Amino acid sequence: MLELIDITKVYKGGKRAVDGLSMTLGHGMVGLLGPNGAGKSSLMRIISTVTRPTSGTLRYEGTDLTADPNAIRRHLGYLPQDFGVYPHLTSREFLAYLAAAKGLSARSAKARIEELLELVNLTEAVKRPLRAYSGGMLRRVGIAQALLGDPRVIVVDEPTAGLDPEERVRFRNLLSDLSADRVVMLSTHIVSDVESVASDIAVMAGGRLLRRGAPEELMGDLKGRVWEILVDPSTVSAVQSHYVVSRMIRTSAGVRLRVLSAQPPVGDATQVAPDLEDAYLGVIRGAADRRSDDRPAVRR
Amino acid sequence: MNLSALPGLTAGDFKDRVRRPVYLVVLLAAVGLGYLAVPPADGRWVILALGEYRGTYNSAYVGVATALAGALWLTLGGFYVVRKGIARDEETRVGQILAATPVRTALFLASKFLSSFLALASMLGVLAATALAMQLVRGEDRGIDLVALLKPFLVMALPLLALTAAAAVLFETVPVLRGGVGNVIWFFVALVVGIGGQSSSAPLGGLGVGRATDSMRAALTEELGKGGDRAFSLGLTQVAEPLTPFRWDGFELGGGFLASRLLIVVIAVALALLPALWFGRFDPSRARRGDAARVPAEDEADAGSLAGADAPGPAVPVYRPAPTAALTLPKTATESGGTFGRLLAGEVRILVGGVSPWWWVVAAALTVTGFAVPGDLVTGLVLPAVWIWPVLIWSRLGSQQVEHGMEGLLGAYPAVRRRLLAEWGSGVVLTAVLGVAPLIRMALAADVPGLAAWLAGVLFIPSLAMLLGVVCRTHRVFQAVYLPIWYLVVNKVAAVDFMGAVRDAGAPTGPTPLFYAAALLMLGAAFLAAETRRNLSA
Repeated sequence: MLELIDITKVYKGGKRAVDGLSMTLGHGMVGLLGPNGAGKSSLMRIISTVTRPTSGTLRYEGTDLTADPNAIRRHLGYLPQDFGVYPHLTSREFLAYLAAAKGLSARSAKARIEELLELVNLTEAVKRPLRAYSGGMLRRVGIAQALLGDPRVIVVDEPTAGLDPEERVRFRNLLSDLSADRVVMLSTHIVSDVESVASDIAVMAGGRLLRRGAPEELMGDLKGRVWEILVDPSTVSAVQSHYVVSRMIRTSAGVRLRVLSAQPPVGDATQVAPDLEDAYLGVIRGAADRRSDDRPAVRR
Repeated sequence: MNLSALPGLTAGDFKDRVRRPVYLVVLLAAVGLGYLAVPPADGRWVILALGEYRGTYNSAYVGVATALAGALWLTLGGFYVVRKGIARDEETRVGQILAATPVRTALFLASKFLSSFLALASMLGVLAATALAMQLVRGEDRGIDLVALLKPFLVMALPLLALTAAAAVLFETVPVLRGGVGNVIWFFVALVVGIGGQSSSAPLGGLGVGRATDSMRAALTEELGKGGDRAFSLGLTQVAEPLTPFRWDGFELGGGFLASRLLIVVIAVALALLPALWFGRFDPSRARRGDAARVPAEDEADAGSLAGADAPGPAVPVYRPAPTAALTLPKTATESGGTFGRLLAGEVRILVGGVSPWWWVVAAALTVTGFAVPGDLVTGLVLPAVWIWPVLIWSRLGSQQVEHGMEGLLGAYPAVRRRLLAEWGSGVVLTAVLGVAPLIRMALAADVPGLAAWLAGVLFIPSLAMLLGVVCRTHRVFQAVYLPIWYLVVNKVAAVDFMGAVRDAGAPTGPTPLFYAAALLMLGAAFLAAETRRNLSA
């Protein structure tokens, strides 16, 4: 079990990236959602022991990782959002180096690297230096390195950026499989990435945890508050200024809007079932509204 | 050409340059130089002298001495600071954004030239302030004449800095000069400029020192009555006795002199703009294949079957995604085991990765030469040669993680110190392998002091590289520091002989134990700096 207790991270200049965040992570996948600048990457770096929190405690199976980060590193798989590689090494050489850094024996490293290369579908490219890899292929090398040490905790930050749709699905399924007996934390701002695999979703903004729960719970918050309306293109901005609009499709008959509102925004509005994107926007906009004034959560 | 974007581009680039640690390092070195240029009255060193005489420390003399020393240092060290302005735009992909704007290539190059020039000029400004302070500190003449003090900075040093800034732009746009080869070439170019430029007959007046020395000689002759035509020397030199001061109140600017200095600036501008003829505006299809791979936060979609042979840019291997169902988790259990050997092997691979086969051919030729030449040439010629050849590779030590963007990934890995030790070890291995011929020759000759000096070199070079790499986070500082040290060794300066190349009656005369201590201290400092940086960045 991984425990985050009142974690705060303040950078030089006073920027508070994570602000008193507490959560407990057991086996399974937590999808961390939030807008850009929400503090997701800072939190991921803290969990992966790359960044030390300014205050608060990070604990794994009872061990305080803020005091002893090495206690987890051997069992941690971390895929940062942005990373480089040694361009003149092949993927096999690169993984062999990282396996040694991780402390794996030569025998287990060799076998595991082959398995991982197959898993991420890079066996045909193993002899090429990494500088010749595409962005997506490098991302898959990153995924492979995260799984090198058979990690008990997996932290992946925007892992599917740069992957093609098929690889994206494949990787999501892989994470889902892994999460059966591991702690997996997946950070993204792509709602569809977590929608299909995460049974537990945390929404973060301004360094704080705004909401956590199963997708159904989050969507349940908006039950009866999502509407579809068809409006004239000239009135779209007026609607947007009053309501949170989660989708907009231009059609020959006008513009079809998906609107979050406690009351029907117009007389002929059709109530629709909320999806996770609506729920996410509801949480984010609701928090923003609560910060600015006390207007209803789904109205601007 | 619309010049309205020039100030903004220049200012942005200038700020980016001066906020880098390497700028501070070179700036501090410049301040130190300002101190050295004006030694105390009983000092046993000198930078500017006429035979056994030097000028009284008034504004004119202190200005000339400091400006000339600064010009020499900033032409060499400053070049390494202002390099990579264009490469950085390429790495950060800012270049591609700029390439898609209406900014013309010439304007872009002009902004790079100007920002480089401003960065160097700002260091010169600090040096001028140091000169003023030193005049007051030495106190031989406390009368401040700002015109006399600043004149040499403006007419002697600034044109050379313009030339340096232009060379930095030019070197970055010529593929073969972009990397370490360019750094080494510039070292020798700066050497030629610094030494040859002192001659009055140098093209365009060289450093511009001729006018000042003529005037100094005239003043000395006037003071002594005769015999003022002493040899002019510029450069850090030890003297047996403190120099005798004489009164010199500066030199007059002539129209011809000013025109020649201005011509240098014009040539510099032309050199900086010349690459507009071939500069590729960050078009990836014209990039070199050896460029570092890096996964950006939001990269283009994976070039799978969609990116075939017709796709523009470097060839990308095509792969076939496996069916989604074929997902098998790794089954091999992970066991712990001894890792240092594999870490070291990995670090050696990383260190020498991408080195051209020709490099190895030359290294092999040097080794064979080491076995073939007579004994005295082994340490006097072959050893310095084999220990300058890997300078570009050593310079990667300590900064490879940063330069390849690996910090984020490796930050979550254990065994930080072991990895650092392995990285240093890879440098030791490379140094020892390159020096194997002198090692065997000295062993066969039972040259124990030589072997001890050789070992000091094997430890000293990677330690220096590690420390500078870890602290400055760039490979250029080691290149800028090591080359002058090596040059002094080749010129038989025993005090800095870390390899046993300077000999007297066949025995090394360098302070070998000092280099053992220095190697250990620098390695310790590198570990400490890495740990501190890790804690600070965390």
